Amino acid sequence: MNDLDARLGRIRGDAAPRPHNARTIAALTSNPGCARRAIMDAAGVDKPRLASYLGFTAPFGQSQFAITRGNAFEAQVKANGCAELLRLLREQLGLPIPEVSYDDLEEVGGQRSPLVRHTSTRSLLTRAARAGDDAGTLFDHPLLRLVVGGRHVYLEPDLIAFRLGGRFHVVEIKSFAVIDGQADGDKVAAAAIQSAVYVLALRDLLRETGTGPVDVAHEVILVCPENFSNRPVATFVDVRKQITVLRRQLSRLARIEALVDLQPPGLTFDLELDDAGVPHRPAAGLADDVRAVPARYAPECLASCEMCYFCRDEARGQTAALGRAAADELGAVPTVQVALGLAGGTITPADDQAEAAALLREAARLRQECLGATA
Amino acid sequence: MESLERRLGELRAEVRRAAASRDAARVRALRAELRNAERDWDDALARLEDRQLAPGDAATSRAPLRTQPDGSGVAVVAGGAATAPGGGPLPPARLAAAPADGPLLPLREQVHQALTLLDVPTAPKLLSAVHDAFFAGEIPSARLTSLRRDEERSFRSAPFARPYYLCAALTAELLAPARGLLAVSTWPMDRRVIGPLSPRVNYLSAAIRVAESFLRIPGPGPAAQRLLWRFAANIPGAADGTRAMDPALVARAARAELEVHADDDRQTRAAAAARARRQLDDAEQLFGSRLQAVPQAGASGE
Repeated sequence: MNDLDARLGRIRGDAAPRPHNARTIAALTSNPGCARRAIMDAAGVDKPRLASYLGFTAPFGQSQFAITRGNAFEAQVKANGCAELLRLLREQLGLPIPEVSYDDLEEVGGQRSPLVRHTSTRSLLTRAARAGDDAGTLFDHPLLRLVVGGRHVYLEPDLIAFRLGGRFHVVEIKSFAVIDGQADGDKVAAAAIQSAVYVLALRDLLRETGTGPVDVAHEVILVCPENFSNRPVATFVDVRKQITVLRRQLSRLARIEALVDLQPPGLTFDLELDDAGVPHRPAAGLADDVRAVPARYAPECLASCEMCYFCRDEARGQTAALGRAAADELGAVPTVQVALGLAGGTITPADDQAEAAALLREAARLRQECLGATA
Repeated sequence: MESLERRLGELRAEVRRAAASRDAARVRALRAELRNAERDWDDALARLEDRQLAPGDAATSRAPLRTQPDGSGVAVVAGGAATAPGGGPLPPARLAAAPADGPLLPLREQVHQALTLLDVPTAPKLLSAVHDAFFAGEIPSARLTSLRRDEERSFRSAPFARPYYLCAALTAELLAPARGLLAVSTWPMDRRVIGPLSPRVNYLSAAIRVAESFLRIPGPGPAAQRLLWRFAANIPGAADGTRAMDPALVARAARAELEVHADDDRQTRAAAAARARRQLDDAEQLFGSRLQAVPQAGASGE
C-alpha cells in the first residue's frame, strides 16, 4: 500500500491531494471504464487546474445562484428546530409526536474542525443507536467519514440523519421542484447517488462502533419544494441500486494498484509548481503524459468530469465520441473515417466488422435514395 | 415654528417639481432635507407641549409622532412601539434610551422588544418577522449578525454597565454558544440553555406568545397574520383547514404539544443551568465557553 501511495504521490506531483466529496464520489460511478479518470481520482489530482493548464478549461461547478437557492431552502426547512421538517415527517411518515429532539453538529463548542465534529457525530449517533428511542431524533449536519482509495474522506452532508422506528434514515434537502409528483429525472438520480454515499458512510460508522442490530434504511427521504411554491414535500427514494454501484466503484478504487502498474513508470501529472504556486512544466509534455493513460470519452462526461474538453478533443473523429448508442452499434469500427469508408465500399471489412459494415452500407443506400429522390 | 412650517411647504413643492422632472438624485436629497425639517418641527412641537404639560405626560404624547425611517417621508404613527409587548406601558428607561433626535429605536432596543415578546431564545429571522408583525417595521437581519459580538465586547470592557445585554443561548452539553440564537441577559439561566428538546419547546412557547399577542392587538396586520399562519401550519391540530385561522386554537394546540415535551426538557435545562452557574465566569455565563483547540481535549461531550 505504501508503495502504491508513493507511486500515486509521484503521479500527483508536489501539490496536496484534492479531497473527495459526495459529488465527486458520486461522479465516480458515471464512467467506470475510464482509466484516466480512475487514476487521477485515486491520486487526488487537481483536475480543474490540470485541464485549464492544458488549455481546456471546463465550464464547471455549481452556479452561485443554485448554491444560494439551495442554502436558503435548506435554512427554511430547518428553521426553528426543523419545524417544517417535523411537520412533513409527522404527516407523511408517521413520526411520533414526542420525537422532536434536535442536535446541531455543524459546530461543536464553537469548533468547526472536521475531527472534532466527526468525533462528536460518532459519539452522538452511537449513543442514539444504543440508548433506544429517546436519545436523539434529528441530527443536523453530521460529519461522516468514508474510506475512498485508501484515504479517509470527510463528508459533510447537507442533511439530517434521524431515527424512525429504530432505523436511521438519511434526509437529503434539495431545492429542485417536484411538480405534480414529478421531478427532473437527472436531478433525482444525482440526489439519490449522493444520498447513497451518505448511507454507505453512516453504515460504515455504525459497523465500526459495533452498535449491534440498528440499521440504516436504504430508503432515503428527499425533501424538495412542492410545485411552484416554497412549501417542502418529502418523498422516499430507494437507493439500493446506487449503493451497490458505489460499493463496486469504491472497491475498484481500492484495487487501483493493478491499473497503475499498467502505466508507463515515469508517468506524472506534476505541474512543477514553484514556491509561488506558478506552474512551470511545458504543456506539451504534460499533455503527452495525460494521453498516455487511456480515457473512455462519452458525451456524458461533459456533465461530470473536469477533463471532458481535453478528452473530447482527443476523441474527435472516433466513433466513441458519438455517444454510447452509436458506439455500441458500430462495435469494432474505431473511427468515423473507417465508418465512412465501409459505408462507401472503399474499405473491405475485416471479419469482426462485417455486421457493422452491412448496417452502414444499408444506411448509405437509404440516404442515397432519400437524397437522390429530392435532388 | 412658523418659519419651519413655511420651509416645509417650500420643500414639499420642490420635491414635487423634482419628481415631475424625474430627477431621482435631487428628489432623494430634498426628501432627506424634508425629513430633517419635519423632525425639527416635531421637536419644536414637543417642546411647546412640554412647556404646557406635566413632564410625565410629555413622553407618551410624543411617542406617536415619531416618523418612520424608511425614507417614505410620510409620518407613520409608531403606535405599536409605544406599548410594551406584554400590553402594559413601556418602562420609562426604554423611551429615555431612544435618542431624542432620531426617529428610530436603536437596533438592540428593537431586538430586545421582539425577544421580550417571544420570551425564548430566538433566531434572527424569526425576530425580524416578529418585529415586523407587532412593532414598527422589519429589522434588517444582516445587521443582527454582528450584534452579539458587539454586545460581548461591550460587556467585557465594562461588565454589567448596561441594564441588559443581548447574549447567547448556551448548548446544554458543552455550555457553548448555540449557533444563531439571541437571548437577553436578564433571563434566568434555565431559559437560556438549549437542550436537545429545547428548539421545539421554544418554538411552541413562541407560538403561544405570538397567538396571545395576536389576540391582544386591535386589527392585526398582514405580517402578523402571516406569522401566525406559519406557526399554525407546523403545529399539529393548530390549523383547522377549512376555517379561518384562530389564534386561540393555535395557542391551545401548541400547549397540548408542549405538555408532551416540557418535563424532559425542564430537567435537562435545570441540570445544565446549575452546571453553568457553577463552572462559568460572568462573561462565559452570558456568551458561552468555547472549546479550546487542544488535541487531547476531544469532543465527545463532557
